[in-house]
Amino acid sequence: MEVKLKVFRYNPEDDEGKHFDTFTLEAEPTDRVLDLLEQVKNYVDGTLTFRRSCAHGVCGSDAIRINGVNRLACKVLVQDLKSKTVKIEPILGLEVEKDLVVDMEPFFRHYKSVLPYFVNDDPPPMKERLQSPEERSRFDDTTKCILCASCTTSCPSFWINEEYVGPSAIVNAHRFIYDSRDQAAAERLEILNDQFGVYRCHTIFNCTDACPREIEVTKAVGEVKKAIATGRLE
Amino acid sequence: MTLDRKVGLLAGLRYKGGGPMLAWILHRITGLGMIVFIALHVIASLLGGDIGIAINTVYQSLYFQLFVVFGIIFHGVNGLRIIVLDLWPKFIEYQRESTWLEWFIILPVYGLTAFVMISRFLAGE
Repeated sequence: MEVKLKVFRYNPEDDEGKHFDTFTLEAEPTDRVLDLLEQVKNYVDGTLTFRRSCAHGVCGSDAIRINGVNRLACKVLVQDLKSKTVKIEPILGLEVEKDLVVDMEPFFRHYKSVLPYFVNDDPPPMKERLQSPEERSRFDDTTKCILCASCTTSCPSFWINEEYVGPSAIVNAHRFIYDSRDQAAAERLEILNDQFGVYRCHTIFNCTDACPREIEVTKAVGEVKKAIATGRLE
Repeated sequence: MTLDRKVGLLAGLRYKGGGPMLAWILHRITGLGMIVFIALHVIASLLGGDIGIAINTVYQSLYFQLFVVFGIIFHGVNGLRIIVLDLWPKFIEYQRESTWLEWFIILPVYGLTAFVMISRFLAGE
């Protein structure tokens, strides 16, 4: 089948500014959007720049906007797109460095701000720190985050203000806040109880829709909001 | 040099967020609509005279009233939906159903109200 790939282009080293280039390609219905981008880069225009690494939906490198919505290029099949014209743009709210590559620094800065690591000052036991299956399942959903930034860059609150910590950082805080072995929940809740913290979430659900790991992002944010409001972890 | 991160209104609106995003946009628009309605009331009362009468004509027109009534009903019901989801996050997994329930309430309530308003308008009341 014939597919028209309309790709956002920007090269800081030329005077063309931002624009779109259209490539007409032959594709199989089972090709992924990433395959189309690879086809352009390898056979048509080697200057096309985008991030990719594992190409199997695990590393989270290739988050882009496909036909107006955040998706991983390696997880979307051509046959699942309702149009034979595919519009490819960089994710919103982060500075574009070149073509589809954005500066992820603000995203990772927010991620680091919520202490996304295990904190427990008790002396380590002889064996492992025990946890029941029920306690483990409490935060199972939020362990799946691959830090692709699809959720944060689909959020209008983040588009408006880069200082908003964003859904991804809250999801990663949730992963440790609800871990029965961790001891820094209160500290993380204090960090998120900020004017640029959880209350910037207006329950728009773009994040939940954009998440390639199907994490219930808005639910995790809601649980953190409630924990801050009530002072209890339920 | 990198491209500015700024997301313009049109770029934001072009993002295909689906029903919940539309509900959020509509919530903002209807909220602003109510502020305009109340502001027009206050300004008309303050100014009086020909300007006051001109403003009265705008907010008493059937179209404006139909918009305001829709705005009040939508803003109220959607606001309640958000409050419920915020207070009981476990219901968030049913957010799609909550949106359907919201319209299930809004459409008959607004339809009936609009029917009464239009009937009275046509009857010259």
